[in-house]
Amino acid sequence: MIDLRVNGIEKWFGGLHVLKDVGFRVAGPELIGLIGPNGAGKTTLTNVLDGAIKPTSGTVYLNGARIDHLPPYRVARAGLGRTFQVTRAFRRMTVLENLFVPALAISPGSTQRDFRGKASEILEFLTIDHLRNEYGRALSGGQQKLLELGRLLMLNPDIVILDEPFAGVHPRLMEIIYRYIARLNEDGKAIILISHQMESIFTLCHRLLVLNYGDLIADGDPETVKNDPAVIEAYLGEDEDMSGTGTPERTERRDA
Amino acid sequence: MRQRIPLIAGCIAVVLLAIFPLVYGRADYDYVMHMWITAFFYAILASSWALLAGYAGQFSFGHMAFMAVGAYTAGLFNNYLYFTSEATNTCLEIAVGSWWLVVLDPIGVSAEPFTCLDAARQAWNSEVVVTKPSLWFGILFGIIVGGVFGWLVGRLVLRLRSAYLALFTLGFSEILRAVISAEIQVTRGQAGLELDPLFPAGISLFGTAFSAADKLPTYYVMMALFLVCLATMTALERSRFGLFVRSIREDEDAAAALGVDTVHYKVLVFVVTSMIAAAAGAVQAHYIGIITPNIFIILQMALVVAMAVVGGLESIAAAAVGAVVIYFVLEFLRNSFTIGSVTIDMTTWRLVFFGALVMVTLRFQRNGLLHPLIEWCTRAGVADETVAKRVAGAATDGATEAEQ
Repeated sequence: MIDLRVNGIEKWFGGLHVLKDVGFRVAGPELIGLIGPNGAGKTTLTNVLDGAIKPTSGTVYLNGARIDHLPPYRVARAGLGRTFQVTRAFRRMTVLENLFVPALAISPGSTQRDFRGKASEILEFLTIDHLRNEYGRALSGGQQKLLELGRLLMLNPDIVILDEPFAGVHPRLMEIIYRYIARLNEDGKAIILISHQMESIFTLCHRLLVLNYGDLIADGDPETVKNDPAVIEAYLGEDEDMSGTGTPERTERRDA
Repeated sequence: MRQRIPLIAGCIAVVLLAIFPLVYGRADYDYVMHMWITAFFYAILASSWALLAGYAGQFSFGHMAFMAVGAYTAGLFNNYLYFTSEATNTCLEIAVGSWWLVVLDPIGVSAEPFTCLDAARQAWNSEVVVTKPSLWFGILFGIIVGGVFGWLVGRLVLRLRSAYLALFTLGFSEILRAVISAEIQVTRGQAGLELDPLFPAGISLFGTAFSAADKLPTYYVMMALFLVCLATMTALERSRFGLFVRSIREDEDAAAALGVDTVHYKVLVFVVTSMIAAAAGAVQAHYIGIITPNIFIILQMALVVAMAVVGGLESIAAAAVGAVVIYFVLEFLRNSFTIGSVTIDMTTWRLVFFGALVMVTLRFQRNGLLHPLIEWCTRAGVADETVAKRVAGAATDGATEAEQ
């Protein structure tokens, strides 16, 4: 049973208070949307959860084990995987090699041959099987995003954080990502989806977390959150409507 | 078939190199043998630097310092350690079974140093046996110490990338050179530390006795070391080690997020490449017979970097071949030539030619001159396969849509 407990996370960057007493729990294969305006602290929270940065205070437990002091590779092996807002495919490695990295990292003593079948199945699912021997740099931006998602399937974590998977993606690829998320969820994974694509968030997620300047100002089902005056005020402004398809800004400070 | 060309060419090259010293019979035999021994030495250094910089993305300028660690460890081992059958009571010594392992006092820079062992000899009778440990243990010790230094530097540069890493390792190299230069009483500084030849008593090979000065045994030793290093690095490159260090080169954060222990592999690649460089340095030191801090001046490091760059930074074999080619070209360019009434002194201009070659390579062929050739062979058919699969996929999609 998946159980992520985030308790009282605080993060300061010098004089900047980026996360303020953030706490929530993920129990079971939930599909959660994490939203908030640029600079709200979404990516910082992701970095804290995956071990890339240490919180100033607070704790994170995954399936009963404390993970907030662990390096990222141990967090990944413990069962928390993530993608990055700016795609980070290994550009001078082939598509297959990209997939073998997480597979071998979590399976000591195994070889690439052991994972060829699984890699093929994943690449076919993501419709990029024909590119298996091409270098990452030869792929389009959207295809690189799919490759990044494929690597997560090879890592096979319990909890997946997808950071802006729909940003700059063609509608056809968006369909594939929708199928990907559905597959993960059917496989019993918990998903935290960070996106500015409100339509996607409301279509896919059963629960929303809203961050605003480091504060977790809402945690609940989409209907409740959508009508929360504080969320409307903080996130979109009084004149906006949260059911829209707007993508207010595509770029965000990478480590914010 | 095209994919097998590099392997076939490599096998042919190894066979030719193995028989070359036996069939070459010109008057310049010793000179040519010396060139090949030195070319192997540089090939080991360039290929191991390619593993460190090209594969793992760790642009270290301390590689020649690790080579020097191996050379000086072997040199100090060869000069300072003795086994005696009696205690000297004048040197630092420990009992090893019925023998004494003796460490000499600093030998200083005088031509004929009078050591604590010499003092003891005056008091001993002629039956006391004094012998040196095998220099091969010194070489082995040099490799281990090289690995320890690699581990230390690897740990220290964990958080450094690109220019910062390069500057740090350059600093390490210069500090080491300054220490060796300053510790004259121990290392003999610029006066040079002398070492025994690899086979001090000569050796018999193929039914022929070779003296300590003959180059053929050393040729085979250096060639064997080169092949062992190349095979080791190739095996590593094709293992999970190679996959992980390349992922670290591409994106360290992404690799860590996918479960790769980046700290472990970054340190490990430093340890492995340092040990290889130290092995080359230790053997070469015994071959040359004398070492000074000049063996790892920045110009030497630049030479190794240029060899790897011209060959191909992302291929161990290409960097090795690049080193051999560059070394021979530089040697051949020592000959001055005349055009009309103008004589060009190539002892100076060859370095200009060499610099220009590096600049042209970096500008027009960043992956080196040989690596693209290897890629052309090993990746034969990839483009065709991609297109064929895409066409097949499109056909399947079309058929499915038609059915619907």
